Amino acid sequence: MVDMSSSESLVSEDTKIDGTVGNCFSDDAKMSMRNVNVYYDNNQAIQDVSIDLARNKVTALIGPSGCGKSTFLRCMNRMNDTIDICRVEGQFTLDGEDIYAKSMDPVLLRARVGMVFQKPNPFPKSIYENVAYGPKIHGLASSKAELDEIVITSLQKAGLFKEVKDRLDSPGTGLSGGQQQRLCIARSIAVSPEVILMDEPASALDPIATAVIEELIDELKEKFTIAIVTHSMQQAARISQTTAYFHMGQLVEMGETTQIFTNPQHKLTENYITGRFG
Amino acid sequence: MDNELHLTQHISKKFNQELEDVRNQVLKMGGLVEQQVSDGLTALLDANKVLGQEVIDRDHEVNAMEVEIDETCIEILARRQPAASDLRLMVSIIKTITDLERIGDEAEKLGVNALKLADVDSNGNSNHHFIELRNLGDTVKKMLKRSLNAYARMDVDEAIDIIKSDALVNQEFDNISRLLVMKMMEDPREIKNALRVSWCARALERIGDHSQNICEYIIYLVKGKDVRHLGLDDLKKHIL
Amino acid sequence: MIDSKNITTIVTASLQRRHKKERRFKLLGRSAVAFGFMLVFILIADITYKAIPAFHQHWVAIDVSYKEDWLSIKDDQPDSLKTANFRKVLKQSIYEMYPTVQGRKDKRALTKIISSNAEFTLRDHLLESPSLIGKKETFWLLLDDDADTYLKNAKVLGEAELRTSQKQATWLKELTDNGRIEKRFNIEFFTNGDSREAELAGIKGALIGTIITMLVTLSLSFPLGVAAALYLEEFAPKNRWTDIIEVNINNLAAVPSIIFGLLGLAVIINIFGLPRSAPLVGGIVLTLMTLPTIIIASRASIKAVPPSIREAAYGIGASKVQTTFGHVLPMAMPGILTGTIIGMAQALGETAPLLMIGMVAFIVDIPTSITDSATVMPVQIFLWADSPERAFLAKTSAAILVLLSFLFVMNTAAALLRKKFENR
Repeated sequence: MVDMSSSESLVSEDTKIDGTVGNCFSDDAKMSMRNVNVYYDNNQAIQDVSIDLARNKVTALIGPSGCGKSTFLRCMNRMNDTIDICRVEGQFTLDGEDIYAKSMDPVLLRARVGMVFQKPNPFPKSIYENVAYGPKIHGLASSKAELDEIVITSLQKAGLFKEVKDRLDSPGTGLSGGQQQRLCIARSIAVSPEVILMDEPASALDPIATAVIEELIDELKEKFTIAIVTHSMQQAARISQTTAYFHMGQLVEMGETTQIFTNPQHKLTENYITGRFG
Repeated sequence: MDNELHLTQHISKKFNQELEDVRNQVLKMGGLVEQQVSDGLTALLDANKVLGQEVIDRDHEVNAMEVEIDETCIEILARRQPAASDLRLMVSIIKTITDLERIGDEAEKLGVNALKLADVDSNGNSNHHFIELRNLGDTVKKMLKRSLNAYARMDVDEAIDIIKSDALVNQEFDNISRLLVMKMMEDPREIKNALRVSWCARALERIGDHSQNICEYIIYLVKGKDVRHLGLDDLKKHIL
Repeated sequence: MIDSKNITTIVTASLQRRHKKERRFKLLGRSAVAFGFMLVFILIADITYKAIPAFHQHWVAIDVSYKEDWLSIKDDQPDSLKTANFRKVLKQSIYEMYPTVQGRKDKRALTKIISSNAEFTLRDHLLESPSLIGKKETFWLLLDDDADTYLKNAKVLGEAELRTSQKQATWLKELTDNGRIEKRFNIEFFTNGDSREAELAGIKGALIGTIITMLVTLSLSFPLGVAAALYLEEFAPKNRWTDIIEVNINNLAAVPSIIFGLLGLAVIINIFGLPRSAPLVGGIVLTLMTLPTIIIASRASIKAVPPSIREAAYGIGASKVQTTFGHVLPMAMPGILTGTIIGMAQALGETAPLLMIGMVAFIVDIPTSITDSATVMPVQIFLWADSPERAFLAKTSAAILVLLSFLFVMNTAAALLRKKFENR
């Protein structure tokens, strides 16, 4: 993760934009974020971002390195709570509920809003144990048979079951990179979240594994709402329906993916997508 | 989004260069085609058989350029996966050279008919309505020139203007057609020649259409909006 | 820019020198390891050689007559048997075997050949089989340590040595010639407690004391140390207070162990009034000593757990406690166990602090609880090393061997445990 404590504030006077271009909001929003500001100590990392995640759609967050997209993603399941120097302001709602309210337990939130990380990080346990961990701690299964079913279904949904069905007890860390990432996806699916946040899930994988993951994401959107941070514009173009372009902590433009990639409205977006800078 | 398009400053200098090169190639092809139209018209109006033959022979060059630029574009698409304005540039180039090649074909037709009509002329004097043809030709030549300049400058306003002026071309064409029909009715012996002249007029009218297409591509490239097949009023509304 | 051809020549020139350096270093390393092994081997060999005599002892066959008038008993009842005069039985039986020996001095010398414990052995034997009263039998008794040492080390059997007079030497030779002397494996070394008599001294008391003390130390220091490390690493806020605590823990690890002994004496025994020389107190003192080691090693290994594992657990919706105990702790276990092994091994060999809390006392009974008086192996070795008898020399070495094997067993067990955690 980027160490923000020593960098300068992303947002400064000469990089301010005049408001977001395009359509950031949706009629059928699963999660809504309004006027979000995020600070690391005295450095501002995110400035006044308002955005909706449309239900059962894939929303891609793109932008140059260090533009704040990962930080923003992590706010949506309160992972930034674990960082002492990080301060989050603004309104975050999940189906209308304020997720930063005192009454919202972050543990419960993270069961509803799952996360897949850039580097696959399976637990050093067996494949079965990896997937079963979430349901176990949240008490989702009342018997071993139920737990088995959850594990098998999740592995199937993640497209991994066929490959590992005869070695569910072997360690999760013994799988290849792509398989490990699918295992991590199965692990997040197992707790039946409503939203899945993905932070560059395929950046550590080879092209074939990447293609498999992308196919999987496309299938997953039928059941889940997905937000994905990615460095690869082609990936964003391939798998998302909506794309948001972040620049220096601000949301510059957001809109339908096809439109962003054929005719972006803001010059900064155009420059980024065509490789003019950043 | 402004009416200008900045096609430089890619981080990859080589990519910049590639785009520059292919644009220059298109302009070169445009220049060649312009020359073809001018020569074809001159050959027709001055009954210059030598020039006419040159025009016919040079059409190979035009075709070769189309193929070459097409290949270059496919290469860039494959290797660079261009997006946004770069992508629109590629698409517009591919379409533009098709229209340019067609203009070249029409110019070749002028050359062919120039040869045929020149032969006729040596036998007898005929009024081939060359004055009207000359007018139409000049209008069309101007339109083509303006289109290519607008393309070079990525000038949307000029492009819209040019599209407007196609009405003029159509008017003149209708004019000539009427005259030729009358002529054919008057003197059935002139039908063959009149038809030839009519084909030349048609060719010039088509060149006008193709120039208009090129202007539509310019608007697409700069504004990102596809304005083909729209009437002028709808077009204006669509861009804004 | 140096072109590639030049680079090849330049690098080749330095290559030989670099390889030579590497070979030299490897050789140095190997010889250091070999030297270390050699020293260890010499040490073990020396101790083993010195310890061998402690593992067998000589026994003598005496014709014992259980005459009633010698026993001076009223009846056959066990109560009166217990208080019977077995010493007389023993002495008279021996005098019977050597009727030629007269004079108090000689008679005393004769009796002195047998271990002073013999009369109690006879008593226990008779209590088992009271039908022997009035009868005679040949019974094997343990020799005194001087006689035993003589038989083990005499250059010429029959000639006087340092602590064996000529007469005693002759008697021993006679007994040997008559086949009345037998060498047996010294099982008593492992079944007896400490004793002033060298032939009777065993390490059982010290061994049990060590085991109990170690158990107390382990059960106190391991949970406390690991919990402290977990708290400091995972839960405590990072401010000046925690920095001060960290500095203090590091310093504690360097405090001489005898200071902890003084602390044990002054506070635990005097103020809290716990019994002196008890494994409980010893355990507490050793815990204080071992805690810094365990905490430091545990903290390092907890720090080494990659943050991605924690993030993964949080991402699923695990609470902080679930993440720490379900994921971080198991992953950090190998390192924690290593720290514990090191700490325990240090504690196992500690003598000074335990001397301070009173384990220097001469303990004969085998301790049975954590509040009984006890001693530990290192202290026992220390005490025996002080004694002049030659038999104690052998016993000291034997005790050292036992301590080393105990350490070895402990380390192996812990290494296996650690491997089990690593393979998960």
